[in-house]
Amino acid sequence: MMSDVVKTDPTGITIEIVYRGIFQKTLAQRICRSIVLAARKRGYTGTAFGRYGDSPERNGVPAKYFAVVAINDLELESSMAKYEPKVVDIAVAVDDTLVKGVESWAWYGRQPIWKPVHAGGAVLVTSDKTPEAILAQTDTAERPYLMGIVPGLASFAGLWVFKDDHTDYRVLGALAKIAPDWVRIEDVKTLIQEQTKDGSAVASAQDGYDRTRLRAVKVGEGTSGHEVLQFEKPGWTTMRPGVIVDARKPGERNPYYKKYGARTLRPVVNFDTCIKCTMCWLDCPDECFEVTPEGHYEVVYEACIGCGICAQVCPVKDCIVMVDELKFEDNDDKWQLWKTDHDAYNRWFEQKSGVSADPKSTAGAGVMTAEREEND
Amino acid sequence: MADTTFSNATQVLEPFRGIKKVTIEEYFTSGHRTCQGCESALIMKLMVKAAGPRTIVLGSTGCMYVANTTYYTTPWVVPWMHTQLGSSGSAALGTAAGLKALMTKGKIKSEPINVIAFCGDGGGADMGIGAISATLTHKEYNSLILLYDNESYANTDIQISGMSPYGANTTFSPPGSVKRLIHTRWKKNMAGMMAVGHTECRYVATVCGSYAVEMMNKVRRALTIGGPTFIHSLDPCPKGWDYDPMLSHEMGELAIETGIFPLYEIEDGVVKYYGKTKAIVGGRKRKPVREYLLKQGRFAHFLEEDLAYFQAKVDEMWDKWEIPAIVPFRKLEATKAALEAR
Amino acid sequence: MAIEVKEREHKDVETEQLATGCEAIAEAIRLADVDVMAAYPIRPYDGVMQAAAKLIANGKMDVEYIVADGEHSQFEIVKHASTVGARVFCASSGVGWAYAMECLVVTPPLRIPMVCLVGNRALDDPGAFGVEHNDALFVRDLGWMLCWIDTSQEALDTTLIAYRVAEDRRVFLPLAISADGAFLTHSQAITMVPPKSKVDQFLPRYNRGDLLLHPDNPITVAPQANEDWVIEIRRQNDEAMKRASTVIEEAYADFRKVFGRGPENPWFEEYMTEDADIILVGMGTISLPMKVGIRNMRAQGKKVGLLRLRWFRPFPTEKIVAVLSKAKAIGIVDRDYSFGSPFNSGVVATEIRAALYNSDKRPPLLSFIGGLGGREVTLEDVYKVAELCYAAANAGKSDAKTHWLGVRE
Repeated sequence: MMSDVVKTDPTGITIEIVYRGIFQKTLAQRICRSIVLAARKRGYTGTAFGRYGDSPERNGVPAKYFAVVAINDLELESSMAKYEPKVVDIAVAVDDTLVKGVESWAWYGRQPIWKPVHAGGAVLVTSDKTPEAILAQTDTAERPYLMGIVPGLASFAGLWVFKDDHTDYRVLGALAKIAPDWVRIEDVKTLIQEQTKDGSAVASAQDGYDRTRLRAVKVGEGTSGHEVLQFEKPGWTTMRPGVIVDARKPGERNPYYKKYGARTLRPVVNFDTCIKCTMCWLDCPDECFEVTPEGHYEVVYEACIGCGICAQVCPVKDCIVMVDELKFEDNDDKWQLWKTDHDAYNRWFEQKSGVSADPKSTAGAGVMTAEREEND
Repeated sequence: MADTTFSNATQVLEPFRGIKKVTIEEYFTSGHRTCQGCESALIMKLMVKAAGPRTIVLGSTGCMYVANTTYYTTPWVVPWMHTQLGSSGSAALGTAAGLKALMTKGKIKSEPINVIAFCGDGGGADMGIGAISATLTHKEYNSLILLYDNESYANTDIQISGMSPYGANTTFSPPGSVKRLIHTRWKKNMAGMMAVGHTECRYVATVCGSYAVEMMNKVRRALTIGGPTFIHSLDPCPKGWDYDPMLSHEMGELAIETGIFPLYEIEDGVVKYYGKTKAIVGGRKRKPVREYLLKQGRFAHFLEEDLAYFQAKVDEMWDKWEIPAIVPFRKLEATKAALEAR
Repeated sequence: MAIEVKEREHKDVETEQLATGCEAIAEAIRLADVDVMAAYPIRPYDGVMQAAAKLIANGKMDVEYIVADGEHSQFEIVKHASTVGARVFCASSGVGWAYAMECLVVTPPLRIPMVCLVGNRALDDPGAFGVEHNDALFVRDLGWMLCWIDTSQEALDTTLIAYRVAEDRRVFLPLAISADGAFLTHSQAITMVPPKSKVDQFLPRYNRGDLLLHPDNPITVAPQANEDWVIEIRRQNDEAMKRASTVIEEAYADFRKVFGRGPENPWFEEYMTEDADIILVGMGTISLPMKVGIRNMRAQGKKVGLLRLRWFRPFPTEKIVAVLSKAKAIGIVDRDYSFGSPFNSGVVATEIRAALYNSDKRPPLLSFIGGLGGREVTLEDVYKVAELCYAAANAGKSDAKTHWLGVRE
């Protein structure tokens, strides 16, 4: 019978925030700093740092920020001068699509969200979905852990303008619920009051505390449907001299850095309404489209990072629709299905996108004017 | 002993006659660590798509080096080599000279190989401007220097460069309670500067990924015409500019429709405007700059006076410059009148 | 438009020339059929570029000769030419070499066999165009091979050897040949210039193999690495430098076979060291006043000898220790400085001290600094060094203080 509280070392706690690079950089930083500053109120010490190798961060590419609280400076030392903690007590995913795995750079592979979490630790996820729905997309557990769903949608912003929707306060409240020895709700609320003088912010922390839903996860629970992406790094005797790597062969895609883990949405295509204007393929910065024999453009889901440009440049209403990544279990390309079982494909399109695949349903809406290339 | 006399010829790359004629093959493939919506990555893909497989690319330090190539792997199909931040001019020159020397002496087969040096606005317009200038005087070496401009030192997490727009928020120019605008310099006019200052350089152009076929055709022209050439691309950057990545294509269009960024080429001294820029030169009203600036978080601190200043500077480019948006000398009639008045 | 490919002249006889160190090196790169070189003016090295320009103008050398806009560009140009398979030459002095540093630091990991001349010159400010060794020494930790020469003949011969060693696939490291400013760069001496046919026997073509940047060998060179990879890359450089020692010995042995001259010991020149009580150590043209002084002292019965260090990187630790450990005292004169180093000595003294540390026999070692900024090292200086060494030998120890030679108080 697992407790509702994370078991930690008596000397301190290590928490990581797993987040979407740039979009949630400020959010992750704020949460980690607040963890340490709140713990100061009880006389503890701590450190907060981003994982240096993640920088420079890229929009959407998963990154990590850490907060360590320790009872004194001596205990804190073992967490300092570290690239990243190998073991954490709590991992917080501030975007629920991150539970499908973390691929941060080349040769890193796709890591389960719970990878550094020890047995008896916790994974918190900000989401509007149920724990069962989240668990269905999380890699099969190798150790028991406590899953907590912090209510709310993913909070995305940019580098300069922060979206103050109280996600950080709710997360702090949730942390206080499962790690009360280190993140005390009273300290959190005091800190927030000092910093913001905003009662609603304080209330949000309490809200996170009250409404976070906990679910004990046993070994074996989760999905084994995600791709295994792991690499053994070569040593100096076999590495090519001169800092050189072989180029990619024509037609080959980079197998050591796939990057699909950077998306929160994926495009689904209505091949019936597609007018083969070529714009999606042309304007995709990530080479994510393949040309089909009939001149359609299909999405290579292994490469797509969900930027949404294709949906924006497509001149036909609802021909490309961006859909929540958690609605999909695999990265299989779909045009073959459209060719072999047209109706099944269209049902899939409608079920995922919530939009009718019937061209007549967009009649009257018409084809929007495409920005044709002007060639003098 | 290799065959054929060396002729210093370039590849003959015909312009794509329409979107359907664009090469399908990718010479820069997926799996690079760029941001969602990165227009500079798009420019790289288009650049080598236009150039084809007999190409060597030199990439200066910057986003398009660090983001794209993470050791021990690569997304490049064509040969690519890193070069130093301010070295794009030297890298192009050295690579072209090396190939030429070996071909002239018959040590390797003579064939036209594209040499493209790809540098950012930091490396190209600031640190490396001297080296680029030198290379553009060497008419005996064929190369293209493509300066991709995301208007900051982006790879170091966004700092001011000589191409950053007036008042932009960056980590070196954050708006504070006492100083709202730290960066009050106006953007360098790189393409115009290169064209005016280097009369041996036969081709200078500006491009934007939002007009992809035009961009690729300009790359092809630069590689075909011979000698050193220069292209400046404006690349909307969702990370540095702070907007939803899906709007990158529109952002490029707005930069042009507001007249902030002009699309043109100069071939052997003849100026030709393109697309919406051509329409503006022909009299079409420019969209107000606020429509572009206020869509980006890096200008969220702008007040009316900042927008007005920005608008006035852009108006000047079109109303007062002798060659609109390219050469800032005042119109000849105005100059004559001013001299007579003295 | 076709370009005429010139018939290269083959001088199949050896000629004697009165040449400066710079001019001798220009002859060497002509003989080596260098493909690309870049020039930028700074004294005192640029005599080599001026000599090369004359050779080109008179049709004696076929090379892409590029006048750069600064030393950073100068070195970057030849670095990139080398990656596409061109044999390259570059050179600089003093602060010019410093300006190129961003390029110099990456040529070892990129395995670019760039052969360079450094016309050793004091860093300015405070100016002076005369010799100091600190410029070349900047790169001593980075994976560059470094050697010091003291005659025009040695300049020519060492340049040919440099291409042979640097471009060996087991090595592929950049190499800087240091020539003292003015005393070697600008002083003319009788130099035998070998025929091209001999050079072709000794020097194979530069073949970059699968490290070549060319569409027929698609590679990506130097993608950004991170902490998962860098130490392995450095270890590769470590191994290459270790292999260089073997390659250097092979090259010198072959040189003697082909050209009928050249030292048996590549690493250093020994002058009257066999029975010496006191051995002086120096690099470059300091050897000349030292040799004169040694002959004079020998005439007085003083058994003094000279070890003129030729190769500084890779450092010939065992061989140096074998010679120096037999002396009763060692006097090292650095034509460079290393402020704040363990005994406030110059660089060479620090390294030799380190080399001797594990030896059973560690004679008293005295460190001197002299001849900076082009100041002549005089016979008086040489005698002073020997005198202090004798005192230490008799006492059986030295005071480990660094002595500055010929400094006005």
